[in-house]
Amino acid sequence: MTVVIGFEGSANKIGIGIVRDGEVLSNPRRTYITPPGQGFLPSETAKHHRGAILTVLREALDEAGLKPADIDCVAFTKGPGMGAPLVTVALVARTVAQLWGKPLVGVNHCIGHIEMGRLITGANNPTVLYVSGGNTQVIAYSERRYRIFGETIDIAVGNCLDRFARVIKISNDPSPGYNIEQMFIGMLYIYYDAAHKMLSSGQCTAEDLCFSLQETVFSMLVEITERAMAHCGSQEVLIVGGVGCNLRLQEMMGVMCEERGARLFATDERFCIDNGAMIAQAGWEMFRVGQTTELSDSWITQRYRTSPHSAVKNVHWPDQEHLPGDGCVCVNNQEGT
Amino acid sequence: MASSMGARNSVGQLQFTLEVPFPSQREASIAVQSLIPDCEPRKGGITKTLSVSANILSVKWTAEEARILRVSVGSFLDHLALVMETMDAFGRIVQQ
Repeated sequence: MTVVIGFEGSANKIGIGIVRDGEVLSNPRRTYITPPGQGFLPSETAKHHRGAILTVLREALDEAGLKPADIDCVAFTKGPGMGAPLVTVALVARTVAQLWGKPLVGVNHCIGHIEMGRLITGANNPTVLYVSGGNTQVIAYSERRYRIFGETIDIAVGNCLDRFARVIKISNDPSPGYNIEQMFIGMLYIYYDAAHKMLSSGQCTAEDLCFSLQETVFSMLVEITERAMAHCGSQEVLIVGGVGCNLRLQEMMGVMCEERGARLFATDERFCIDNGAMIAQAGWEMFRVGQTTELSDSWITQRYRTSPHSAVKNVHWPDQEHLPGDGCVCVNNQEGT
Repeated sequence: MASSMGARNSVGQLQFTLEVPFPSQREASIAVQSLIPDCEPRKGGITKTLSVSANILSVKWTAEEARILRVSVGSFLDHLALVMETMDAFGRIVQQ
């Protein structure tokens, strides 16, 4: 039995989760919500996390019914993300790892999303669409490493939605994207009932804008994912990241998958949105193959590519050369190839 | 009780030293290992050195500008406080 505790705080969510051999024992989280029209800045976000983190840590242990002695490994988000919040969380992770005498594992936040998505959904070898406030990437696992097949060249789709929400002062509670989606849903029903009336008035409402934005942006994501699937010969799609909660995105992706005879996998808001258990899960994968992080190497980094320097090498994905449990140990990747 | 001292050195840079006593050498060592890994933000014109001797954590800054020094010291004190609160909240448990 291997029990890993994971610390996550790279954006405005602070979450600590405990995972035991694929079972999530606890996953408490707090979100820093700013007033409508305002985004969240690093120093204030760090302050929020600092105020909540020890309480959330206590909750994680209590809900799991565990003592520090029961933990085998402490995982934390090494990056990418916002600097000050990342440091706040890393400080606590490093401190408890030393206090409890446990090894430390620095995890790539993106890999956390992917590994939790695979665990929860049981997806075998999916093309991954990772969409959040901070990241927009299409990823596949090929030849023992994660490879980015496509990504945004300017801003993440979640960031795009959030900034738009600020412009028209939509509430940030529970998240801007969620409220855009609700307005979109409202618009959809209005259109069903009174399409010609709305069109003839020629007036543009906030709901109209939400609708247009979602439809446009999500269509692009679906198209890029489809191209990656064709390139990889993949029959599975896994959506991870906060924007993955969006039911319209899931619906559009589902239509594309059905047309291709592929399967769609997605998680709910417990695991789509940043959380500690996903870091614990990725940390569990790394710890199992002996990958730990020395304290002197545990510095945080705001930029941390999903490939080729991602930490989770030798992870057993089915359909690759080695199958789980066959006793083989995968050879280490060579950096720079 | 922590002590601090500030002055200008021979080349006109600002210097600030902070010495923080801990209940034991082990705790001072844990604190320094938690605080050392993250680099100073690259604003330039500032250096920060951490060291431990017995149960005393020493931090020494040199900076070109008072404003940058103030930000760094303030930020360090926040981080130090968080590490100490963590040790208070979760350190005693190890004794079981």
